[in-house]
Amino acid sequence: MAPSGLKAVVGEKILNGVIKSVKKDGEWKVLIVDHMGMRILSSCCKMSDILAMGVTIVEDINKRRERICSLEAIYLIAPVQKSVRALINDFKDVGFTYKAAHIFFTEPCPDGLFTEIGRSRVAKVAKTLKEINIAFLPCESQVFSLDDPTSLYSFYSSKPNEEKDKMIENLAEQIATVCDTLKEYPAVRYRKGPEENARLADEVYRRLTAHKADNPSMGEGPDKARTQLLIVDRGFDPISPILHELTFQAMAYDLLDIKQDIYMYQTTGIGDSKEREVLLNEDDDLWVQLRHMHIADVTKKVTELLRTFCESKRMCTDNANIKDLSQMLKKMPQYQKDLSMYSTHLHLAEACMKKFKASLDKLCEVEQDLVIGATPDGEPLKDAMKSIVPVLLNNELEPYDKIRIILLYIFHKKKGITEENLAKLIQHANIQADSNIITNLENLGCNIIAGGSNAGKTLPERKERTGSTYDLSRWTPIIKDVMENVIDDKLDKRQWPFISDPAPINTTQTAVSARFGHWHKNKSPPEYRTGPRLIIFVIGGVAHSEMRSAYEVTQATDGKWEVLIGSSHILTPTSFLNDLKSLDQVPNPDC
Amino acid sequence: MRDRLSHLQEMSNGHVEPMEDAESTVSDTFSNVDLEEELPHEAVVFDDNSPALEEVFSQSQDIHREIQLIRLEVKRLREQNSRMLQGTTTMSTIKRDSNAIGADIKKRAEDVLARLHDMDGTSHKLEETHGSNSAVTRIARTQYACLSNGFRDAMFDYNEAEMSHRENCKAQIQRQMEIVGREVTGEEVEEMIEKGQWNIFNDNIVSEGKTARSALSQIEKRHQELVDLEARISGIHEIFLDIAMLVEEQGPMLTSIQSNVQKTDEGIQDALVKLGRAKRHDNNNPFKKMFCSCFPCFNS
Repeated sequence: MAPSGLKAVVGEKILNGVIKSVKKDGEWKVLIVDHMGMRILSSCCKMSDILAMGVTIVEDINKRRERICSLEAIYLIAPVQKSVRALINDFKDVGFTYKAAHIFFTEPCPDGLFTEIGRSRVAKVAKTLKEINIAFLPCESQVFSLDDPTSLYSFYSSKPNEEKDKMIENLAEQIATVCDTLKEYPAVRYRKGPEENARLADEVYRRLTAHKADNPSMGEGPDKARTQLLIVDRGFDPISPILHELTFQAMAYDLLDIKQDIYMYQTTGIGDSKEREVLLNEDDDLWVQLRHMHIADVTKKVTELLRTFCESKRMCTDNANIKDLSQMLKKMPQYQKDLSMYSTHLHLAEACMKKFKASLDKLCEVEQDLVIGATPDGEPLKDAMKSIVPVLLNNELEPYDKIRIILLYIFHKKKGITEENLAKLIQHANIQADSNIITNLENLGCNIIAGGSNAGKTLPERKERTGSTYDLSRWTPIIKDVMENVIDDKLDKRQWPFISDPAPINTTQTAVSARFGHWHKNKSPPEYRTGPRLIIFVIGGVAHSEMRSAYEVTQATDGKWEVLIGSSHILTPTSFLNDLKSLDQVPNPDC
Repeated sequence: MRDRLSHLQEMSNGHVEPMEDAESTVSDTFSNVDLEEELPHEAVVFDDNSPALEEVFSQSQDIHREIQLIRLEVKRLREQNSRMLQGTTTMSTIKRDSNAIGADIKKRAEDVLARLHDMDGTSHKLEETHGSNSAVTRIARTQYACLSNGFRDAMFDYNEAEMSHRENCKAQIQRQMEIVGREVTGEEVEEMIEKGQWNIFNDNIVSEGKTARSALSQIEKRHQELVDLEARISGIHEIFLDIAMLVEEQGPMLTSIQSNVQKTDEGIQDALVKLGRAKRHDNNNPFKKMFCSCFPCFNS
């Protein structure tokens, strides 16, 4: 199943709009990328895709490269000084590095740099120069990232930051390219409170208007006037990135060491046991099916699917499990792709459960009671301190797990806790080295110390949610309430003001003919989807459970709305705590 | 997308040429200094990589063409199989029957495998001559990886075509068996295929009448096709094993662009960073600062 949504839109734009547009039969090309270009490309295209479009090699612009003067080069780069200088350098000497240059910038190129290019020899060999207006990573079909893990520090560090204005402008431009790519011209809203929200929202609105001037078709289409863009800060929901989640994707990224979406494990294939690296992304259909499922359901589902698969292909096994995989492969090597997919997910689920059973089952019980404020039976939590003390004294738990429990306890207390109580907790848990993580949360506007700078700020009231849920998964991210309210047009305008007056919402349904007017629906390009979108940008990082909420809410509207969520980067609990730890420190100059 | 080529060309034409050289030499001394200073500027010109490159491209072109031909054959096989099912042609008018197509695919597949092994050999030789980070080696590796994947997909397509035909034949046999008054389940048909026992025809069936006779003849035909199909698939089993080994050795990460880019020249990049740091620390060396003022540099 081909990926839909953001990845498809960006992939199509890059493959067709960039690479195919300069394709010439019989001629191969070199593709040169800088860091941003490479990340964008890698997130939506495979090597085989671009090879089919005539690209034979991908190079990093900042590394020393050989001359390949028989081939032309495509540059996919951000319009920043480092990349532009490297570009100019390729054509500086008498011997050009490549035969010609096709230049594609991710964003509008500033005048200064443009002039530099104009005055160099590049201008003579450039056969193409375009601004593609894609300055973000399409991580999933409904999730985007701006690829900047330093963002939390930039916004909320205790140290003064002179570059803050420039940083907000850059961020705004990147968010505007998301809307431009999706051909949306949304009404911009922000959460009233921290001043950064308003500033960013303002800047985004300005950039959006500039883009609309160049690209008037943005925001056109039936129902598009209802599209909204929400700017929200991380401090709005500090619980979701800290809580232990038991859905497959969130759990795997929290408990296992998965870097850049690559999962490594040992396996037996046709040959001997070897280390295998697998990319967890939407090209893996099974991953798309399983990623938001509760872990208890995952193993069941995969085993069931594997059994069905084996039966349909006449692979006689008594137990369809991963141990017999090498046997199955020898008998039917043509099913290698499918079998390795099942193998990967069984290993992944097993690894998650192993870690969970080792120390986390009791912990999760306590966590859920704290964040819901009641036991699974509905009894309100009476003595929270009593339930967390055994956790804090447990020496087998990692310091970060203890910090997470302490934080959840503080949030449970709503008004914060006293400094003495905090000191006592830190001592019980023996986490003095990491204790600044807790206090640094005040920078995000969270109420940690009772009567401190954030006194009076509380977490919002929650919706009542019923329905069968697992006892250890009762928490819903706060942003889900917001998403549902926007769609029902119930989001409070005072707490979530608009930057500009929104277009009047047409509540009456326009009559739609059942017979006529639908001819275009089968042939529409991916970004042209009828119906409004809700785009949410979280300042400081987005958690996996919040990403999952976007899909759940979209599904609940039966396709009428599409909810997209994104941030500067995607958080895991560990990375969030690491980010928080550094908020009161000076950044390392050698990085 | 915004096209700014015309802006660029305007700017370039409006700019006076002679100034360019002076400007670029001035900017040279300020920018790109780190790179030039740390490592001696080698003339990284590989004038002799053009013929190697040409050979790589021509090899990959040939393999690509062969894979396309295999895909075409698979398409013909699908058409052929469906014609057999519908019984729209008699045996004599079929120019190339499934077995001939199957044999052709097998031959081509063996040929492609041999060519891929050759290409693998070429990349290894290039790696030895030019180094594993050189452009021509990486181009060869990438072409090889993508062609192997393309080949694997084409062969999987072939397998799919045969498997779906198998299911269709089975279903038809079941239907025809009903007509002659003997109902069978899918499992039973499987058993019959595997054991080759078709003598159940002899009991409890209606063998009189035109419908019954034609149904029996259809069952015979499908039986024969299934036997041929099994023979084709087992004949090609070795090839599938080879492909599976090939792809497994490369690993699934090879199609990721990120891993293709980052492999190169990592060592040099690390070295540059370390040299940069060393330079900074060296410049901050208090002894150096002290001596520089006491002993003016001696210029010979």
